[in-house]
Amino acid sequence: MKNSKLQRVLAFVLLAVMVFALAGCNKGKSGDIKEYTMFIAMPGSEINDDNEVAQIIAEKIGGRVKETWLTGQSAAEAVGSIIASNDYPDFIDGGDGMMALYNEGVLVPWDEYLESGKYPNLKEMYSDKEWESFRQADGHIYWANVFQNNYGENRATTHNDEAFWIQVKVLEWAGYPEIHTLDQYFDVLTRYAAEHPTTESGVATIPYTMLCEDWRYFCIENAPEFLDGYPNDGSVIVDKSSGTPTIVDYNTTPTAKKYFAKLNEQYQAGNIDIEFATQTYDQYIAKLSTGAVLGMCDQWWNFAYTINDVFKQQGLDKQGCNYIPLGLTIEEGMENRWHTYGDTLNNSSGVAVTTDCDDPDAAFKFLNDLLDQEIHDLRFWGVKDVDYLVDENGLYYRTEEMRTKAADPAYQASHLCNYSYMPQWLGTSRDGINAMQPTEQASEFLNGLAEPLVKCFQAYGADSYPDFIGSVVEENAPWFPMYSFSNAMTTETPGGVAWTKMGEVKHEWLPKVVMSKNFEETWEQYMSAYNAVNPQDFLNEMQQELDRRAAS
Amino acid sequence: MKAKRISWKEIKRQKFLVICTVCFVIYGIIFYYIPLGGWIMAFQNYKSRDGFFGSEFVGLAKFKFLFSDSTFLRVIRNTLAMGVLNLVSTFFMAILFAILLNEVRLAIGKKFVQTVSYLPHFLSWIIVTGILHDALSSSGIVNELLIKCGILSGPINFFAHKGYFWPIVAFANVWKETGWNAIVYLAAITSIDPSLYEAATIDGAGRWAKIKNITLPGIKPTIMILLIMNIGNVLNAGFEVQYLLGNGLVKSVADTIDIYTLTWGVGQNDYSLGTAAGIFKSVVAIILIVAANQFAKKSGESRLF
Repeated sequence: MKNSKLQRVLAFVLLAVMVFALAGCNKGKSGDIKEYTMFIAMPGSEINDDNEVAQIIAEKIGGRVKETWLTGQSAAEAVGSIIASNDYPDFIDGGDGMMALYNEGVLVPWDEYLESGKYPNLKEMYSDKEWESFRQADGHIYWANVFQNNYGENRATTHNDEAFWIQVKVLEWAGYPEIHTLDQYFDVLTRYAAEHPTTESGVATIPYTMLCEDWRYFCIENAPEFLDGYPNDGSVIVDKSSGTPTIVDYNTTPTAKKYFAKLNEQYQAGNIDIEFATQTYDQYIAKLSTGAVLGMCDQWWNFAYTINDVFKQQGLDKQGCNYIPLGLTIEEGMENRWHTYGDTLNNSSGVAVTTDCDDPDAAFKFLNDLLDQEIHDLRFWGVKDVDYLVDENGLYYRTEEMRTKAADPAYQASHLCNYSYMPQWLGTSRDGINAMQPTEQASEFLNGLAEPLVKCFQAYGADSYPDFIGSVVEENAPWFPMYSFSNAMTTETPGGVAWTKMGEVKHEWLPKVVMSKNFEETWEQYMSAYNAVNPQDFLNEMQQELDRRAAS
Repeated sequence: MKAKRISWKEIKRQKFLVICTVCFVIYGIIFYYIPLGGWIMAFQNYKSRDGFFGSEFVGLAKFKFLFSDSTFLRVIRNTLAMGVLNLVSTFFMAILFAILLNEVRLAIGKKFVQTVSYLPHFLSWIIVTGILHDALSSSGIVNELLIKCGILSGPINFFAHKGYFWPIVAFANVWKETGWNAIVYLAAITSIDPSLYEAATIDGAGRWAKIKNITLPGIKPTIMILLIMNIGNVLNAGFEVQYLLGNGLVKSVADTIDIYTLTWGVGQNDYSLGTAAGIFKSVVAIILIVAANQFAKKSGESRLF
């Protein structure tokens, strides 16, 4: 009896201690360091709560961010559920759902903060004219896109755009041929696959795969615009040939039909992954990670960051599994614009501060401080002497061991913290010597290339990835990119409804067209399903926006 | 029989029961009836910024849009088809399984099989679909088996063919729920008077005859009640399975009303349309359940109300 009473008291005391300890912990952490929350409508990997660089940054600028990423749902659904719950994180990047957040009135306008002069780094991100383009219908700025923005001299070494990619081992095996058309591309892939049915580690070779999931179905969908030599306007072609810029639908061009006919022919010949239509992004990345996929059409950022790290970890880079971009066109001898030189301003999404953030001043200061050179170096280079070294000229460099470590997911979670959807720079560091991000440091880039890549670069006389593409160098048109308008469309307008339904039709029919035993018939069915959802409504609204942008 | 008048004395005597009931009635009001106020959204062009009172009233416009949308009509078909398929297969399998299990003589074996069989019920759909994805992938166990046995010459992508989708969903439901659903029938079977079986044995009835003439009629009331309740649930053909297993290629057979509600309501922020679809679903469910109940009444079986 006495015993059990004692036990009960003891249990209660223990419980009390635990409660206090937990409460104590929380207090200790959030003392003078502000904890922000952020939701990013993209899949990503969470970093550990005790991440070392995050801690260093927090001590220096008095804030840290707990990032939450998209899991399983589509971006629009995730943002929709946040709106429905009426419980917003401090920072949000809603991707395609940005307009929904704006319509909801839950974003803090940036104007007075930008004008106040208290946040010079943030203001510096864009020119006045560029900031103007972020202005919404109500005359305020609510977010800033953080990507493709160069400080000082452009240092691009990668082709951070879309291309048909091919493994470097295939090129080496074929004797580094010139590949300009789809026919040549598939010819090399299939000849290589016929001779190498499995990889060195015994995985069955997949000559070509495509991703068709959710918004990432651009991997199958928008190649026709590039094959015709147009730049990445994303949702439409802008034809300048007649003098006045005109919207053209790339889904129905003869090139589109030829491209899908080619895919169909290759699928029937067994050269395309039979799971292409049903794989998820994770499955796709897992597939690429084995090194068994010889080629695909994709955006660099959609696969390279993950895949290159994995290849390095697994030693697959030494077997020539890395991908080289090709600037294919539908016919031989056409100009191509796969590579976008200079900055691309996608004003349809970016990082925003929500009205649930209890101290917007501090939040903007945090955004501002993240662009401070010292902090920026910490985010992208890491800790000096641990993650990188500095030579006598002030040039940052890494040893092979450091590079391998930086590619290790466990190390990335426990040590590195780049807050990848927060404001950031590409281009040249404020010290005038280094690149803002290691991937753009020429010496780092060349030293970091695996041997098969080096040989390939030499064989084609290339210094950087864009050299393989050979795109036309020109100023971007004032309306570029048109996708920043279509991404922000909502179903409030007939054009927006058509845009949503066109997406649904294409999601279903494009894989069908590729897999069909009777291409012509399926193509006809696809076209009638496509025309049934009034794509003209969408095109008209795009033309209006194009006219507006061309005039301003 | 004369209905008993409810007196205060009676209520006082059943104080505890009344309090318990009141709790559930309050629960029901809060969680089932108050949210019905949200149905007004279906008749408005609802914008959450403007709220219930500020949003523009549009009458039946949303319903008109719904029924002129060929996607919605297809979604109804999918929901009904998968609902019926799931109902029939899980219902049939559960009864079959309960009867078979009841015939097992070895007590330990019976307990073991029963426990193992209802474990999948506790797995969430994301895990079940993960297992299915792996098992049915081009290098998964099913393709491997079929190829090794010489039935197929190369792997097939099960998720790329419309024809396979409904059976896959039905199979997943059967696998997950058979053991769990059988519990009710097993309980019903144990409540059958053993003397009936003894008498039948003396009359020389075999196992088959006993199942047909004693077990099945014994659990018939349970079967009927569950059938009626499940018919009301036909339109709840599922959300997770189809959402997680579906893809662009089989979308036209995979999307259910719930998914439609999600994509338009939450994804496109058109709560009005989502609500209208939800109302339609509820109305159909009520019609189905009343019809099933009427049918049971007509045929003189036990019924819900």
